Amino acid sequence: MSNINLQCLLGIQCNDFVMIAADQSNSHSIMIMKDDEEKIYKISDRLVMGVIGDSGDTNQFAEYIAKNIQLYKMRNGYELGPSAAASFTRRNLAEYLRSSTPYFVNVLMGGYDKENGPELYFMDYLASSVKVPFAAHGYGGYLSLSIMDRYHKKDATETEAYDILKKCVQEVHKRLFVSLPNFQVTVVNRDGIKVLPTINSASLQ
Amino acid sequence: MSILAYNGGAVVAMKGQDCVAIATDKRFGIQAQTVSTNFPKVFQMGPTLYVGLPGLATDTQTVFQRLKFRMNLYELKENRMMRPKTFSAMLSNLLYERRFGPYFIEPVIAGLDPYDNQPYVCNMDLIGCPNEPEDFVVSGTCSEQLYGMCEALWEPNLKPDELFETISQALVNAADRDAISGWGAVVYIIEKDKITEKHVKTRMD
Amino acid sequence: MARRYDTRTTIFSPEGRLYQVEYAMEAISHAGTSLGILATDGILLAAERRNTNKLLDEVFFSEKIYKLNDDMVCSVAGITSDANVLTNELRLIAQRYLLQYGESIPCEQLVSWLCDVKQAYTQYGGKRPFGVSILYMGWDKHYGYQLYQSDPSGNYGGWKATCIGNNSAAAVSSLKQEYKENETTLAEAQALAIKVLSKTLDMTKLTPEKVEMATLTRKDNKTIIRILTNTEVEKLIAEFEKTEAEAEAAKKQPAKS
Repeated sequence: MSNINLQCLLGIQCNDFVMIAADQSNSHSIMIMKDDEEKIYKISDRLVMGVIGDSGDTNQFAEYIAKNIQLYKMRNGYELGPSAAASFTRRNLAEYLRSSTPYFVNVLMGGYDKENGPELYFMDYLASSVKVPFAAHGYGGYLSLSIMDRYHKKDATETEAYDILKKCVQEVHKRLFVSLPNFQVTVVNRDGIKVLPTINSASLQ
Repeated sequence: MSILAYNGGAVVAMKGQDCVAIATDKRFGIQAQTVSTNFPKVFQMGPTLYVGLPGLATDTQTVFQRLKFRMNLYELKENRMMRPKTFSAMLSNLLYERRFGPYFIEPVIAGLDPYDNQPYVCNMDLIGCPNEPEDFVVSGTCSEQLYGMCEALWEPNLKPDELFETISQALVNAADRDAISGWGAVVYIIEKDKITEKHVKTRMD
Repeated sequence: MARRYDTRTTIFSPEGRLYQVEYAMEAISHAGTSLGILATDGILLAAERRNTNKLLDEVFFSEKIYKLNDDMVCSVAGITSDANVLTNELRLIAQRYLLQYGESIPCEQLVSWLCDVKQAYTQYGGKRPFGVSILYMGWDKHYGYQLYQSDPSGNYGGWKATCIGNNSAAAVSSLKQEYKENETTLAEAQALAIKVLSKTLDMTKLTPEKVEMATLTRKDNKTIIRILTNTEVEKLIAEFEKTEAEAEAAKKQPAKS
């Protein structure tokens, strides 16, 4: 049995930035092995990827994509934009899906495009990819999406978006039957990638 | 639950007098959870040629990209436009290549022949068995409802504006009786040298 | 002497030369001329059409200029059958990139991928190199309008204006003389192309049947590729002849007075 839906990924895109939050639990069966796992990967200067799923697959897949996008930059001297990076990721995930070794991972990609500004892509393990203003993966999504529906606005500031994520985590802590104590948060804007303080019960006080 | 109904969605196409129409809903969901209300399932493949690919969303995207690949090469090599009937044959072939591990989509094709302006509609099963009727074709998670609506509303020789009304009513009312289709719709009316794209508002629940 | 090192492309001669590659280049220098000129508001390719027999069934509108994808066009000089293989390969490479990244391939990457193929045929045994030089014009979001040239060895480079095929050295030197960097408009480039072609083709009179021309411009964030019609080419030639006649008259004028 996979624990892909017991993990949680949240993402919000506004006019000036895109913000991704991921829980930090690594569980096996009924046991939590780790509560400070990094599930948000830096892909390039203005691109991050949140990945949840089977524990080997997440790391392997994220690094495979990250290294290939790095290689592209070395070969050509310019970076892949977020939409091209998302297409590339989708293509790979889709090809692995129908191989004997599919990757069982759900992904959120957040990037800042020179021309089009911030972009957020929702991608599930079947490699369906959609550009969205906000999204969530896992059972946490059932609780968070309605909060994001209510509070998301295009012109929100980073502080406001961070507060929306806090509301979501609060709800996850209160209503979800699994323990996801820590959420790491990363924001991508015009200036690059920035790590924000972890959201946990202490910071929610 | 069928894999064809994992993401939800519906497409319908109808013939009129010297015109054809194709319509789709806009939902993308994962089973009962709606993720996006702006997911295109109908694509323009030529000046008067459209294809709708309802079914598993990942395959909607993959098949569209592969169709584009083949079609671009055809048009560059042949230096002429592709006829709708040729397009059907190409799509049928693409799907049957995966006879024992199919793409989970049931396509709909609508277009006017670029050489004699004959209206053309066609649908297929997931392994590419074509069906080219004289009236209308339906596909997606509410195909039963769509059949009922089309059977009741469609009549021969509809003018473009009548055809728009007919196809919109058929799609909207069929999708309202389906929990995983709807959330807005797009209708394309295809005439000899005019394409009309209309976004139809529907119930958002 | 050369014979011993001719039969295989993989072998260097004692002087450090690859004969087959050099022969391929030689073949191209007899082929129809193609030239390209980069302008500020667009870019153009022009080519000499050799097969003008009226008995020919004209299936295609253009004989030597090929569209590669939405943003690129190429013109070839050399063995036509080899060129067909290469243009097919170019189109495949462009489509594979589109499938993988969801956007058009950047110009230099397409040229570079094809040159890898060309290079392979100069190294791996039993094969002869492609007897084709290619001019590429295109647009991408990274570097805007671009003009490239590649040859049978697999070398390639970017140019502001260049020429391949018969008499190309002379054409390049006259392009070097006449080309004004960063201030040539597409209209001026078209006039220049006709002028240079009329010199290099070594014909008494240029006819529209002998010349193919294509332009690439951007409008509303879309690339527009146009292959000029015979009448448009005719108009360009007529204009060229007019200015030429005027220049001729101006030259004679002071002599008379």
